[in-house]
Amino acid sequence: MKVKVIVACGGAVATSTVAAHKVVELGKKNGIDIDICQIRISEIESNLTGAKLIVTTSNVKRDYGIPLVKGMPFISGIGVEKTEKAILDILKQ
Amino acid sequence: MWSVFESIIDYIVNMGASVMLPVVIILLSLIMGIKLGKAIRAGLMIGVGFVGLGLIVDLMNAQLGPAAAAMSERFGLSLSVIDIGWPGASPITWASEIATMAIPIAILVNIIMLVLRLTKTVNIDIWNIWHMTFTGAIAYVVTGNFWIGILGVVVHAVIAYKLGDLWAPLMTDYFELDGLTVPHGTSAYMAPIACAVDELIERSPKLKKIDISADTLQEKVGVLGEPIVVGALLGTVVGFLAGYPAQEALPLGVKMSAVMVLMPKVVKCIMEGLFPLSERAKEIMTKKFENSEFYIGLDPAILLGDPQVVTAGLIFMPLTLLIAVLVPGNKVMPFGDLATIGFFIAIAVAVHKGNLFRTLFSGSIIMYMTIWIANQTIPWMTELAVSTGSTNGEHMLAALDQGGSPITYIFTQSFHLENILGLIIISVLYIGSFVFAIRCSKKRAEELKKQ
Repeated sequence: MKVKVIVACGGAVATSTVAAHKVVELGKKNGIDIDICQIRISEIESNLTGAKLIVTTSNVKRDYGIPLVKGMPFISGIGVEKTEKAILDILKQ
Repeated sequence: MWSVFESIIDYIVNMGASVMLPVVIILLSLIMGIKLGKAIRAGLMIGVGFVGLGLIVDLMNAQLGPAAAAMSERFGLSLSVIDIGWPGASPITWASEIATMAIPIAILVNIIMLVLRLTKTVNIDIWNIWHMTFTGAIAYVVTGNFWIGILGVVVHAVIAYKLGDLWAPLMTDYFELDGLTVPHGTSAYMAPIACAVDELIERSPKLKKIDISADTLQEKVGVLGEPIVVGALLGTVVGFLAGYPAQEALPLGVKMSAVMVLMPKVVKCIMEGLFPLSERAKEIMTKKFENSEFYIGLDPAILLGDPQVVTAGLIFMPLTLLIAVLVPGNKVMPFGDLATIGFFIAIAVAVHKGNLFRTLFSGSIIMYMTIWIANQTIPWMTELAVSTGSTNGEHMLAALDQGGSPITYIFTQSFHLENILGLIIISVLYIGSFVFAIRCSKKRAEELKKQ
């Protein structure tokens, strides 16, 4: 079954595209079929249905009721392994 | 042999950006060691983004343009040129003749400055090189001199990396982004104005004490703040104000919703195409300059999730429209940048440490200046769009994000000298603000040290 993951950034153009690529690759390596929903941060609330995880490339402090992982490391390249582990832990549950 | 080669290049260039750009990106990708299949896919994806953008800019201009003009006529306003925003301006810039040179040049300027210890900012964000490219592309279109265009990229790049150094302490103390910085984009180059405003407010005993912050506005506003609803509202309201019957005003609303939703989806294709290249550049840059002495330069999008930035962005959507009505003789109807107005004020929010009251002041000045400059650059922006085949020139175009940039304006006007008074006023205001920006940055760095 496909797992819906929301990937959000400011404009849904640049950083979220990079993060989305990384999340899909990570899923492929671990045998998880991921359905990416790439949107602006202001659109998260309306897209929550069925989503298991939110990855944002920005410091979002709001609680949406489902796990949120900061995907900044995918953009900066620092601390990628830790972030990947956090994402896998949530998706494998 | 050479003439054959030259005519092949001419032949490709004449087919327009949607062909030239993919060819260039495929070649660049191959040079960087990316596999042929991936390179072809990346190149075509950029072409797809460019074709898609053309469709949407046309839809926006053909539908919203006449409505805005009719509305202006009825109410004695002058808003007749649509702001295509950064989602429209960036692809047009990537399609300009200077763009392919700009990426290596901007990276080279960064490396030279790092080696000479003139900056600590290591920019690994290839996408936002479009801001630097824009200054070059506009200067080239206006002056017709290719080398002035290249100089424009270099000058803008130097300023951007210095801005990265300036904002680094604010990234740490306000956004909690240690070791990162945001050198490019509207909020980086407009924030010096916020520094000046902040010091002025500090000098007033009454204003100094006012501190407002609001985290919850987004939850209260709900879907009203979403681009899809903003587009519908704006389209419908402008339609009614233009004197359209409901039968025409409501479809206009839905069409503007479509523009808001589809715009990032097509522009995203361009980023997809740049992805293999930008990953490669990131690898190379981080390998060479990886230690705690450097700041990694990233996209301003990483700032747009901060609650105070979100709130300020929501407030500035209607406020920007109001300012657009108040700027004397303003022709630019804010639209393409409206959903992401946070890009203009994100670092200003950090300058004011999240105090919304102060952000309202500095943000209003920032938007006023942006709208004024964007008016001055309408003919330049339109010419650039026509020269890249993004529009046929039937409608004029404007772009708040980057078309309203003081850096682009001051640089180009210095060679063009067509509005000397404007050049002097903007230069004095903008360069003066930098003094405050340097002071602000030093003060925040010292506060960090004390902790």
